[in-house]
Amino acid sequence: MTNKILTIKNLTKIYGDNIVFQNIDLSINEGDTVVIIGPSGTGKSTLLRCINLLTKPNGGQIWLDDEEITSKEVNEDNVRQHIGMVFQNFLLFNHLTALENVKLGLIKVKKLDKTAAEAKAFQELERVGLVDRAHHFPGQLSGGQQQRVAIARALAMDPRIMLFDEPTSALDPELIGEVLEVMRKLSLAGMTMLVVTHEMGFAREVADRIVFMEKGSIVEEGSPEDLFNRPKFQRTREFLWKITELYGKKEQEE
Amino acid sequence: MDIIRFIQYIASGTAYTLGVTFVALPSGLILGLILAIIYVYGGKIAARTLSVYSTIMRGIPPIVLLFILYFIMSGTINLSPFWAGSISLGVISSAYQMEIIRGAILSVSGGQMIAALAIGMSRLQAIRYIVLPQTLRLAIPPWSNEAAIVIKDSSLVYALGVPEILRRAQLISASTQQPFLAYTTAALIYFGLVLFTNTLLRRLENRLRIPANP
Amino acid sequence: MKKVSVALMLMFLVASALVACASPEADSVLDKIQEAGTVVVGTSADYPPYEYVDESGNFAGFDIELMTEIAKRMDVELEWTDMPFDSLIAAVQEGKIDMSISCFNYSEERDEKVDFSDAYYTSEDAFLVAEDFAGTITNAEDVANFKIGVQSGTVQDEWVTTELIDAGLMEESNLSRYERVDQAAMDLQAGRIEVIVADSVPAQALMGQFGGFKIVFEDMLYTGPINIVLPEGDSELQERVNSIIAELQSEGFIDDLAVKYFSD
Ligand SMILES: Nc1ncnc2c1ncn2[C@@H]1O[C@H](COP(=O)(O)OP(=O)(O)OP(=O)(O)O)[C@@H](O)[C@H]1O
Ligand SMILES: [Mg+2]
Repeated sequence: MTNKILTIKNLTKIYGDNIVFQNIDLSINEGDTVVIIGPSGTGKSTLLRCINLLTKPNGGQIWLDDEEITSKEVNEDNVRQHIGMVFQNFLLFNHLTALENVKLGLIKVKKLDKTAAEAKAFQELERVGLVDRAHHFPGQLSGGQQQRVAIARALAMDPRIMLFDEPTSALDPELIGEVLEVMRKLSLAGMTMLVVTHEMGFAREVADRIVFMEKGSIVEEGSPEDLFNRPKFQRTREFLWKITELYGKKEQEE
Repeated sequence: MDIIRFIQYIASGTAYTLGVTFVALPSGLILGLILAIIYVYGGKIAARTLSVYSTIMRGIPPIVLLFILYFIMSGTINLSPFWAGSISLGVISSAYQMEIIRGAILSVSGGQMIAALAIGMSRLQAIRYIVLPQTLRLAIPPWSNEAAIVIKDSSLVYALGVPEILRRAQLISASTQQPFLAYTTAALIYFGLVLFTNTLLRRLENRLRIPANP
Repeated sequence: MKKVSVALMLMFLVASALVACASPEADSVLDKIQEAGTVVVGTSADYPPYEYVDESGNFAGFDIELMTEIAKRMDVELEWTDMPFDSLIAAVQEGKIDMSISCFNYSEERDEKVDFSDAYYTSEDAFLVAEDFAGTITNAEDVANFKIGVQSGTVQDEWVTTELIDAGLMEESNLSRYERVDQAAMDLQAGRIEVIVADSVPAQALMGQFGGFKIVFEDMLYTGPINIVLPEGDSELQERVNSIIAELQSEGFIDDLAVKYFSD
């Protein structure tokens, strides 16, 4: 019996008269890594923001474990600390060192005392291989290092699930590997993850399931094996062809 | 009158100048900070109200507010010239400082707030621990401008007879017929005060600068 | 957030209500002075020899010494408040000070807001020019042909404004108003203005201090007498001050002061 950590039903998001997505259903089992792929502007980021309650959906429901987090009674701040989020542009707190970035939530949100928070923060930095950069400020770190600190910051809150929104898109090609490596290890260690990415190699290797979204709806989903080798829809095939073409060329240029 | 006594007479007005500045500037900062936070995070109605407040306070000449507070409202609150002056300048400065801090808040990327919310912080915590520390750093340079303006505007209390630097320069210029010396002395004292404040604030700015690779 | 804007609106309302109900109280200021044992007197101590700051930083001058004697005879302590000339009338009007002595001439405009004591001295006005001034001034109005400087807010300012400018005898641009008369003297020296219209006593003082000036005309342009400014409608205080002034005049005290301050 697998345990569903995240369940989404009938989710709809509309900005003005722009229907970003409509009637999305999706669920994620504990320990699974689900990768979302799809062209730009399909609503992938918006979906993640809805899950994290940073944006209110116009309809539908979301459950985290057995709790309906879209219900009016929930304390949003409380929900968010159980959902880790990693952004495309890192968003480290600029005025704090790597260590302080990881520590702050532990002290202010988890209310740990200073020593416990520091120990835990070091532990998380260790996990992303950045203990030696603990006292550096974001401005003194490479993009890859910043993103790893951001992952450590999210992990420190002991989230039930981690959301990644194109975590490597803003990185120079030579820095992508170190971040993907951290994510791969995390997935292997059993973390439940929902990842939006264009890194097909990562998706193929790490994902338990791949979801292809286009124009605000889920076109198809399946194992990497099925989706890459036997896509059911013409649209999926075209997208995969375009993306391998694009990224394949990039790799050749290196 | 010998030159030393002459200069001493004018310089002894510095206490009033500093007194008015030390009341007006910090109270304007506290008020401006609170108002700026309400302006940015408090919704549309608050923002519109505060934009009116800002326009009025920045549009009203300080001397007019001073006279309103000291003369026109004297039936209800009997303020001394010193307090009437300090409060007027503080209130006007609060509008300028609100704009300075509001601008600084807006130039801290919105992503910082989102990242703070994402780890489970409340909006208030995010403002307190993430937005404000960055905001206040950004606000130091424009704020040091405002400090210089308040130091110089503090001379307005002379209109109510507070014997600060400028009024003393006027009095001594009238009795000795040495306006050039009197006003040069006053100008040098103001210059010294502004220079001192700006140097102090620049040091603070450098000390608080967030380290980054070149 | 609604609460915040409501609070702000309330603040505006309260503030305007405060302004609206501000009205002076009816008690005689004389009672208040005697109760407190102190009279608070305003002056603009930048008008020697009437009122100025002496070498030790204290107020001195004709008006100052006179007021000191008046306070002594009222049997109260004297507390000086220095203020720019323009603020004095408002300060008396709003009860910020009990009275003001600062070489005030009577004018109808001022009389609407405050009361005047009897005149304690009568001064003349003078036209001060540079020594090489070549123009001729036979009637007072002839001065309209020149560039004039006055101290703003003085009766001389009012005279030039109403009798010359409003009467169409000269352009307003030919009149420079100075906050203080010594600023006018500097401009006269520099040739930016040709004539200073001022009270004759300070005019003579300027002549002594600056050098290179002369007086080409001396007369009472307006009512020349100078008075103490008192709160509006307070006859008790007015009578008390007037009786002391009469005493001092009959004793020759004021004439002695005039010799002391105006003789050189
Ligand atoms: N705050 C907003 N207000 C209005 N429209 C928005 C807002 N945020 C996103 N949108 C719109 O929603 C749609 C989906 O945007 P979203 O960022 O979710 O797409 P995406 O799939 O993440 O694309 P990308 O691959 O470029 O990141 C777009 O048309 C976008 O313009
Ligand atoms: Mg996106």
